[in-house]
Amino acid sequence: MCIAVYRRHGLAGLIVRHALIWLVIVFALFPVVWIVSASFNPTNSLQTQQLIPRNPTLQHYRTLFTDPNVPFLRWLLNTLKISGITAVGTVILCALGAYAFSRFRFTGRRTGLLGLLIVQMFPQMLAMVAIYLLLLAISEYIPSFGLNTHPGLILVYLGGAMGFNTWFMKGYFDTIPRSLEESAMVDGATPFRAFIRIIIPLARPILAVVLIIQFITSYGEYILASILLRGTEMYTLSVGLRFFTQEAYSRRWGTFAAAAIIGALMILAIFLPLQRMIISGLTGGAVKE
Amino acid sequence: MKRPRLSLALVKVVLLCLLDAAAIWGIILLGVRGSYALLASLGIGTLLINFVSFSKRAYPLRYLLPGLVFLFGMVVYPIVYTVYISTTNTQTGHILTRAQVMEQLGQRTYAPTEARTFSSAVYQDEDELLRVLLTGANGELLLSEGDRFKDIEPDNPLLVRDDQGTIVAIGDFQLLNLGGLYSVLGQLETELFAYGDTFLKVLSVREFTEVLPLYAFDETTGVLTNLETGVTYEHVEGTFTAPDGSVIEPGFRVSVGARNYTDILTDEGIRSDFLRVFTWTVLWSLFSVLFSFAIGLGVAMLLNDPYIHGRMFYRSIMIIPYAIPAFISALVWLGLFNTDAGAINRILIDLFGSAAKVPWLQHPIWAKVMLIFVNTWMTFPYMMIISLGALQSIPSGIYEAARIDGASGLQRFSRITMPLLLISVAPLLIGSFAFTFNNFTVVFLMTGGRPPVLDAATPAGATDILISWTYRIAFQGVRGNQLALASAIAVIIFVIIATISAINFRFTKALEDVHRGV
Amino acid sequence: MKRVALALLALMLLVGLTAVGQAKLTIWADDVGTPVFREIAAGFTAATGVEIEVVEIAFSDLRGQFITAAPTGEGPDILVGNHDWTGELVVNGLLEPIDLGLRAAEFNAVGLEGFSYGGNLYGIPYGVENVALLYNKDLVPTPPTTWDELLTIAADLTDVESGVYGYIVQNPDPFHWFPMLSAGGGYIFGTDENGGLDPCDVGLATPGAVNGAIIFDQMIEDGLLANGADWDTMTGVMFSGNGGMVISGPWLIGGLRDAGINYGVAPIPSIPNGDGTYGTPKPFASVRGVMLSSFSENKTIAKDFLFNYIATEQVALELFAKDPRPPAYLSAFDKVSDDPDIAAFGQQGQNAIPMPNIAEMSSVWGAWSDAQALIGNQEADPIQALQAAVQQILDAIGCEE
Repeated sequence: MCIAVYRRHGLAGLIVRHALIWLVIVFALFPVVWIVSASFNPTNSLQTQQLIPRNPTLQHYRTLFTDPNVPFLRWLLNTLKISGITAVGTVILCALGAYAFSRFRFTGRRTGLLGLLIVQMFPQMLAMVAIYLLLLAISEYIPSFGLNTHPGLILVYLGGAMGFNTWFMKGYFDTIPRSLEESAMVDGATPFRAFIRIIIPLARPILAVVLIIQFITSYGEYILASILLRGTEMYTLSVGLRFFTQEAYSRRWGTFAAAAIIGALMILAIFLPLQRMIISGLTGGAVKE
Repeated sequence: MKRPRLSLALVKVVLLCLLDAAAIWGIILLGVRGSYALLASLGIGTLLINFVSFSKRAYPLRYLLPGLVFLFGMVVYPIVYTVYISTTNTQTGHILTRAQVMEQLGQRTYAPTEARTFSSAVYQDEDELLRVLLTGANGELLLSEGDRFKDIEPDNPLLVRDDQGTIVAIGDFQLLNLGGLYSVLGQLETELFAYGDTFLKVLSVREFTEVLPLYAFDETTGVLTNLETGVTYEHVEGTFTAPDGSVIEPGFRVSVGARNYTDILTDEGIRSDFLRVFTWTVLWSLFSVLFSFAIGLGVAMLLNDPYIHGRMFYRSIMIIPYAIPAFISALVWLGLFNTDAGAINRILIDLFGSAAKVPWLQHPIWAKVMLIFVNTWMTFPYMMIISLGALQSIPSGIYEAARIDGASGLQRFSRITMPLLLISVAPLLIGSFAFTFNNFTVVFLMTGGRPPVLDAATPAGATDILISWTYRIAFQGVRGNQLALASAIAVIIFVIIATISAINFRFTKALEDVHRGV
Repeated sequence: MKRVALALLALMLLVGLTAVGQAKLTIWADDVGTPVFREIAAGFTAATGVEIEVVEIAFSDLRGQFITAAPTGEGPDILVGNHDWTGELVVNGLLEPIDLGLRAAEFNAVGLEGFSYGGNLYGIPYGVENVALLYNKDLVPTPPTTWDELLTIAADLTDVESGVYGYIVQNPDPFHWFPMLSAGGGYIFGTDENGGLDPCDVGLATPGAVNGAIIFDQMIEDGLLANGADWDTMTGVMFSGNGGMVISGPWLIGGLRDAGINYGVAPIPSIPNGDGTYGTPKPFASVRGVMLSSFSENKTIAKDFLFNYIATEQVALELFAKDPRPPAYLSAFDKVSDDPDIAAFGQQGQNAIPMPNIAEMSSVWGAWSDAQALIGNQEADPIQALQAAVQQILDAIGCEE
């Protein structure tokens, strides 16, 4: 937003605003500090420990990188690969679809849009069995995209690409005036060219938003992943973490916490550059009349 | 519109030809294998792609098709599958198909009186055909011919012995070594070899034994007879039942039409608990969305303010709750809310004395508060991100104009920001409502639906939402794993939530018109 | 040219050899069992040339994934799991019966009973465990023999302010609660005329069971037992040395040792019946074993592996070394019972009964746990709660009155 939206605040205003922000930060980070604390605490319990561990240790982090039964780095890489490709794929599919819904008028447009959303609301409890059978069938003909493969899992995740994200993007596209594309098309561009050259650059904020949302969503998904992937080497981070909580008798809170923290840091690392894209709408505003 | 360049069109045609060729090859392959469902999808898909590539009217479809393909494969198909299952009797004891059950029953045998056991040796020739030689307790030899055994004299010239007297070859067939033996056992163990008036079957790695098939099935009458006891069975809804009521396990899946639906809709217990569970589900979704959106939007606006320094830093911190997978947060919060040892109660006790100890998991109201609190915590960063994105789309010139007209901060917010924001965000709020409505993870991991309610007719606890309640009925009732019942309930839940959402969308249609006026 | 021909020949030979079809077994096990079975499998592979792949699956997913995967042919040949899965898996047509013949005498009878269904055996047990009373010798020098003694000790020790608990147990948790209910005659399913379990005879509200529940209720009211204590709370208390006594199983010992607690194992104290007599608590026995899938395409080889490798004393001892459950293989159990803990659990185990393995059991856990929660939360009195639970179970199973 342009400078004109906000006015400079007085000292009281600044203090109030910062205080509010910090209040929310405390709210947001409260459990997280416990997780961080647990990752440095040699006892493997979450409950009777003090916030600052008595004998802080790096052993949990070490376990993550050295224990042969815990291929943590592989899990991180798998997750980056799967979630990254899913996120990028989703943005592409979604942008294409949203453009069509926003710019073209065709029969079934309204119903289609509504249908997209309604379909996502079906309780996916039994989806597991259905998808398992589907991938099994695919395995028979194209094994590299079937059960227990990363491409197979990516295909499954892409199923959720068109959905609320499409509507969200469409709403954003709607606010971009058609005059821009129309002038481009007068100059001889196809709608597709106009899409790539004009809409996409202007839509950077929304593309970044959908990217990070989809990345985080597929990062945290473990139900389908644990059914479709077999063998420790294939797991994503979520599935691996879930193992720690499912172990028969010893919940290894310390290692679990360390892994969760590193995973969150990875997401932060991705979010940081995306932030710039999200708020780059500042310049986009200059084009609007 | 200028005509697309010729080279581009050529490339398109070539690609399509390749695709069509591959599809035709695929269709033939599938046809040979008999997978008609896949064949149909491949055929329809290819036709669609061709149509879309050449038809001008279907131009928008070119943009939609890739996404739709995935949608149909991964979202629509499971729905269809679920509806199909809801019309069957799939549950513990009925998960196999009829063919699978018949095959299993056909493999069942019983031992005749004085069943003999033979030691076995397997021989293989160059064409990988097998023959088995059996040696009985009295030294008698039996040799397999096809699917039967025949007696054979020890001095038969085909038998080639070595110095120790072991038979190492029979004609062209060579004795298999250990590794070879193990690799063919899988084939041999499913065969029943006829011998005289009994049958012979693999007993262990080097033994065969006499058996008789346990069941005989008459195709025309559909009667299964137990050959050992003489009892006859006919199948009743997928289970072979005898006149005296005894059954054969396993049963198989059959179609039962709308029976699951009528069972649910007429069940007393379900009806009495439904309203309570439904009400809580709606409240839980509503409050979660409301609170998380309020906090998310508030933070987004604060962090959109260029006069606040360190915005990047703040935003990154705010996203952390969202960046931690739900099941981890659920478990961590569960620990923090623990009545005796959790940090939250410890802090409350430190601040307000021991009377402030709250029975978070044991008290129905506090458990609900806890769940809404935790879900808000998990969701507000998402709301913050989408608000940030949507805020970018509001043209700043409007605010300038409004300020010139003398509108106050509150008026600017309620008359400009909110309506314009809601256009893009409202569907997402509805979506978030629907997602929370079906959010199994948080409720199940934190409370499992408990604390329990006395005299509930079904296992419906105080914090059970429709989907967790469904899970408990379907997977913890009768003999567990009532997939068909769960499917039917899922369909019913879907109808409910789709209706609620459709009504809400009409509301947002009104909002879209607001935008047109701007 | 010659080199190419040779290379081609080598390739053909290679293809020819592999075309014979390598036999292979797949085993599914959880995180504890996987490393052990991999080692055992290596021995089998060396002797027979049969490749064995051990796949690790999260324990809570094992049963469900097996049910989904087995009928499609994607399941394992051998499944490592608990005995109470037997009923459900057999009724779904997923398990192959195993005939031990005379070798059955080499195993613990309770272990075999756990894996039996409809007169057939469906699994080879390798570990039988049950709960007993574990106590911190520094806080409780002599373990109590009756429940009254336990209450006295608990009353002396418990000081919630400083976080010391004389007695603690996971609750609501029916598995750990059962000894209290069974002492006076409570039971889950009665037996029918064929010796099998009768799912319509649920004994959770018998006078003996109610008696045990009343004692439980009283303990919570008197502050002698923390209501809603879960695994993490309980282990936190015990491992920090702040817990006097706990009802738990061999799985706790590792943590106690690591925490340096001076612990002991004793039988669960007898429960007063109210008329001067005392009932002996009968805990559940939980049996871990190895099952054979009916969809396996290598049943003979799998049985060879099970009979000649798993069902041996040597392997039983190896499994025990990695996963310290009292072995079900009798001679192995004798060898390891100079360990006082194992001996103590074994002694308690003589009164143990296996958890019912029929599929109807899935209707029981939820309602039963709810009953305990209602009693603990002081929202219902014991008899009300238990009777409501029994009613819910009978309704869920579909028994006619």
